[in-house]
Amino acid sequence: MAVQQPKKKGEYKYMQISLIQGILLALMAFVAAVDQQWEAFFWFRPIVVAFFAGIILGNVQLGLQAGAVAELAYLGLLTVGGTVPPDPLIAGIMTTVIAYTTGQSAETALGLSLPFALLAQWVGIFFNSAYSGFMGPLDRAAEKADVKKFKFIVYSAIVIKATVVALIVFLSAYAMQAPISNFVSTFPVFLIHGFEIAGGLLPAVGLALLLRIMLKADNAAYLFIGFLMATYLKLGNVLPIAIAGIAVGYIGYMNDKHHAKLSVATEGGSEDDGI
Amino acid sequence: MTVSRKKLTKQDITKMGLYSIIEQSCFNFERMQAAGFTLSMVPCFEKIYGDQKDEIAKAMVNNMDFINTEPHMATFLQGLVLSLEEAGEDRELIKNLKTGLFGPLAGLGDAIFWFTLLPISAAISCSISQQGSILGPLLYMAIWFVAAISRIWFGQIGYSLGVGAISKIRENANAITKAAGILGVMVVGGLIPSYIKLAFSSELKLWKVVSVQGIFDSILPNLLPLGFVFLLYYLLKKKNMNVIALIITIIVCSIGLSFFKLM
Repeated sequence: MAVQQPKKKGEYKYMQISLIQGILLALMAFVAAVDQQWEAFFWFRPIVVAFFAGIILGNVQLGLQAGAVAELAYLGLLTVGGTVPPDPLIAGIMTTVIAYTTGQSAETALGLSLPFALLAQWVGIFFNSAYSGFMGPLDRAAEKADVKKFKFIVYSAIVIKATVVALIVFLSAYAMQAPISNFVSTFPVFLIHGFEIAGGLLPAVGLALLLRIMLKADNAAYLFIGFLMATYLKLGNVLPIAIAGIAVGYIGYMNDKHHAKLSVATEGGSEDDGI
Repeated sequence: MTVSRKKLTKQDITKMGLYSIIEQSCFNFERMQAAGFTLSMVPCFEKIYGDQKDEIAKAMVNNMDFINTEPHMATFLQGLVLSLEEAGEDRELIKNLKTGLFGPLAGLGDAIFWFTLLPISAAISCSISQQGSILGPLLYMAIWFVAAISRIWFGQIGYSLGVGAISKIRENANAITKAAGILGVMVVGGLIPSYIKLAFSSELKLWKVVSVQGIFDSILPNLLPLGFVFLLYYLLKKKNMNVIALIITIIVCSIGLSFFKLM
């Protein structure tokens, strides 16, 4: 990576987050936290929360850049199978907030937002454990078909958790902005640039995590096809590769169905339940 | 199942599909999605059993076991449960079907939504965002809005297939998961060159003439990002390295690389 002229100490533009902006960020975090619990509309993803954080802070471009960087880094860190990853919602908001208050690049801010994402991860684990205690009362409400009580417990669970997330965002973004930017301003240039390098490498963690689950001996070849297309074809974005992937995947799907039919036919076990 | 106890309309299932957006409320490690899974079917239970409170209670209790499936596709199971419940099937059977199906369904849903749609939608939207256009996040939200609404459709399928659903899943799950795997892996391959920035500093030269990065580029552009992903893959898959430890290691190494002016 070419060294992008790092700013010298003292050149940073300190931007302050006002109380109203802090409250708006917290309100946005509340909505996003409810969505995160439900995994409903994906408003909790970094690309979305950072965009809205950028609007609230009056710097939409910053929100777009921070969102793109954080989204890619958190691509593979998924809640699959009930595990709790470092929190993408907090990462998206704090990457934007830190870039805004310290004047650093989005890549640097991404690395610096990690402690907040980890804190929120532990909060998530806490609630997933604590809410096990709600199952007893829910069982009793179900046995009596007490729908009102059942609803009340379920909805309280979500409101409590989202409120805590909103509080974390308010405290991290508004109350702690001065300590954070003072702390970052003491960093030497190599440290700031180090975080920037890390920001460029973290998406690889997300992709490697995806591959850990997806990569199989029978599809590994397609990874290289996608890689070579992106390296040599100078495509504007990844959409053409996705369309090619759909085409190839469809061929595979049809072949599999065909083979399945053949094997059923040769076993003679078919009871004429053809598709 | 041709029992004529039809009380639920297509609209009821649509409403259930929408309501199922709350399916992961009160998620916990003890029984995962049980509470929300049950609650989003309650209006339909109430319609089936009217004022027979004891039957509603039995139907609710029957769904309070551990369940963890993909939230978009949970409605498929809920549709199935409702069709069986409506037909007056044995609750033990309903419970067993549900327990047997949520795992394979989770695998299928994860492959479609989390391992395929998420990387693709993120990659396309991020590339638009990085060009400075607000269409990036807007497109992303539009894609996932449609995905969220697909719950309705999965619910309808589960309900109308009834018991036939099981053979459909068994027939197709593997082939679809495999096809989604091909698509997902190819997109991940395409993301590597664009989004991983790993190159030695242009000032780093051997004998003050040969640029180190130039050597790598002449072998294969983006060789380092590709190699780096495989290194991480190896550490995660074969060495079972903890993700947090890995991220912290990367940050520490990056700072080291920066300190020695290698990058």
